[in-house]
Amino acid sequence: MANLRHFGLMALKALVRNRGQALLAMLGMMVGVAALVTSLALGRGAQDALDEQLRAAGANLIQITAGNYKGKQEIDTDPEGHIGHTELEPEWQPTGMIVPAAYNPAPRIGGDFFAASDAMEGGFIQAHFEDDPMAIHDHPTARQRLGDASAGLGSAATLTRDDAKAVALIPGVQHVVSGVHENVRIFVKGTQTQWFTRMHGTEADLPQIRSGWTIPHGRFLSRSEVEGAEEVMVLGRVVSDRLFGANVNPVEQTVLLWHQSFRVIGVIGSRSWATQPAPGDDQFDAIYVPVTTIDKLLNLSKLNSIAVTTYSVGDTRQVAKAITDLLRRRHHITAAMADDFQVTSVAQQVLGKGLSPDLARAVMGNLSSVDQLTVEQLSASLSRTNWIMLSLLASVAAVSLLVGGIGVMNLLLLSVTQRTREVGLRIALGARRGDIALQFVLEAVLLSVVGGLLGIVCGMAASGSMERFFHWSAVVSPISAVLAVAVAALLGITFGAWPARRAATLDPIEALRHE
Amino acid sequence: MKKVYKLGENEVHALRGISLDIGAGEFVSIIGPSGSGKSTMMHILGCLDRPSEGRYLLNGKDVSALSRDELAEIRNRQIGFVFQGFNLLPRTTAVENVEVPLLYSRPVMPPAERRARAMKALAAVGLSDRADHHPNQLSGGQQQRVAIARALVNEPSLILADEPTGNLDTKTSIDVMHALQELRQRRGITIVLITHEADIAAYGTRIIAVRDGEILTDVPNTPRDTLESVKAPVALAAVS
Repeated sequence: MANLRHFGLMALKALVRNRGQALLAMLGMMVGVAALVTSLALGRGAQDALDEQLRAAGANLIQITAGNYKGKQEIDTDPEGHIGHTELEPEWQPTGMIVPAAYNPAPRIGGDFFAASDAMEGGFIQAHFEDDPMAIHDHPTARQRLGDASAGLGSAATLTRDDAKAVALIPGVQHVVSGVHENVRIFVKGTQTQWFTRMHGTEADLPQIRSGWTIPHGRFLSRSEVEGAEEVMVLGRVVSDRLFGANVNPVEQTVLLWHQSFRVIGVIGSRSWATQPAPGDDQFDAIYVPVTTIDKLLNLSKLNSIAVTTYSVGDTRQVAKAITDLLRRRHHITAAMADDFQVTSVAQQVLGKGLSPDLARAVMGNLSSVDQLTVEQLSASLSRTNWIMLSLLASVAAVSLLVGGIGVMNLLLLSVTQRTREVGLRIALGARRGDIALQFVLEAVLLSVVGGLLGIVCGMAASGSMERFFHWSAVVSPISAVLAVAVAALLGITFGAWPARRAATLDPIEALRHE
Repeated sequence: MKKVYKLGENEVHALRGISLDIGAGEFVSIIGPSGSGKSTMMHILGCLDRPSEGRYLLNGKDVSALSRDELAEIRNRQIGFVFQGFNLLPRTTAVENVEVPLLYSRPVMPPAERRARAMKALAAVGLSDRADHHPNQLSGGQQQRVAIARALVNEPSLILADEPTGNLDTKTSIDVMHALQELRQRRGITIVLITHEADIAAYGTRIIAVRDGEILTDVPNTPRDTLESVKAPVALAAVS
């Protein structure tokens, strides 16, 4: 439109002239927009909180475990009952009655080793063959011996760190953490204080997956410690309490595991009151050491599990499928064979009710059967409370916007009356109806938008304090700010339209006579 | 041309049938007492109002049936107004006041050109040095000259002056009248002046006396500075 800048300046001047009334009208607008921004922020915050809880509940977690306890029944088992021995290849035929076929007392590099082992048999008390530390247990792999997978015997060693690295390259994967798990006994160095607990060989990213953790003392494993296979250890809260006493900081103490000294670098506690650390649980009655350290000490190269998270809850199913395909390829598993691993995604389909469509889609698509009842109840009550609160806030916002709009209209009518003579003059000098209307609409819009901007600031402050003092999550998104300004401008146009029309249709002759 | 106002039940015949032809470059003084219909005439001549009956041809174009916005454009382009009360915008500098008609002209004029033309118009009335003064910092005569500059700025063919000296003392009235005369002489702008003072009317080249909505007399006139010489017998004679 013509000369917008000039008319805008004029509108500004007019507002400055009536600054008292303008401020009051602006105040009304401000309250309305602030209420709008706050309700949007709370709505968004509630949704984010719900999403966050879903993540915390592990909705984006995929667990890969070695072995397959759900695989099809073993059909090729040796009828004689030789566990773990199949007759697939001639070389696996038993060679004697004493030693099982799969056992080889020494590396089969050359024929001479057989002689050596014979000599050993002759000279020493034959220990149980499985106790021989030098033995290579070159059982047929799980691929060759599908049966073991079903039985859960000897099949735990099907995942490797290379598998984990390959999984990390799948699109949509956020964190990948390899795991080796053992039950161990640990001591405080130099004392007889001991504790039987669960040992997790893990990686630095684990706390990113376990969002329910806090670290009251020290820190978690660092990447360099994992890469360097250092002998450091993070204690679960329960372990720390048992070994060093409740609430004692154990950092820099030394703990013995397999007669190796480990330096304690941190303690893990629970963030939620709902999951208190308790003896026997898997997270806090546990110790965490770099998986590489375990590899080094035990000379292992296999993993018990790989934990994977996805960036988006909605991707879980797809990524789980991709992982399955990838591992089948890597393990040379043909279509006829069962997996030698298991991929489970933690998910709860019931959560979808009452959520926003995209969240619901993500949730419904992926979740299956963990903790259904509690999460369902949580979700239902959360969204109900949310809904009531939002409707309340939305009506407050609507009413205050209406009041604000009426305030704007009132000010505009005042402005038109004050300036009747000026309007008459402008019409006489050639202003069209549109020009005059534009001038007043601009005034209304300016008023509303300034009020709206102030309202956004107030709304953000209100949201912030609600978050701070009531612990409601409130998120002011840029979109809601833009929306609020747009609503304010629209209100200005709407409530400015009538006064503007009145001004534009003034009779110039009458208006010029107006005092 | 007729104009009838309806005030409730009553019809007010402001103009009872007037036929008038004003040539280009004339300085017409319309004189009459209040209620004679001279203001109504001016409103119609200024395209602020439309006749109830009859036609008004402006520069050969019938404008009696045009829409409100079309009339606005004609006022903007072809007519300059000078009012009794100056009607300058308060809290606005002289040059900005002169710019106002340019704000509404189509196509939209760039601000720099607006400013240049307004300054030129102010120079034409000898007020270049007062461009940044607000109306309340100017004398009555200066204010009316600003108003004349505003009437000039769009280079109209017709300037309508409604009691331009009504609020001025004799000396400044002379200034203003000279300014109007000069416009006619230098630029050939047609001027229609409405007044109830014979002394003022005497500046015109033609004097039309109006009473009760009809033309009483319509005589050519030799412009005289009757205000400057205190006696004004001829002008008075023209009225009676």
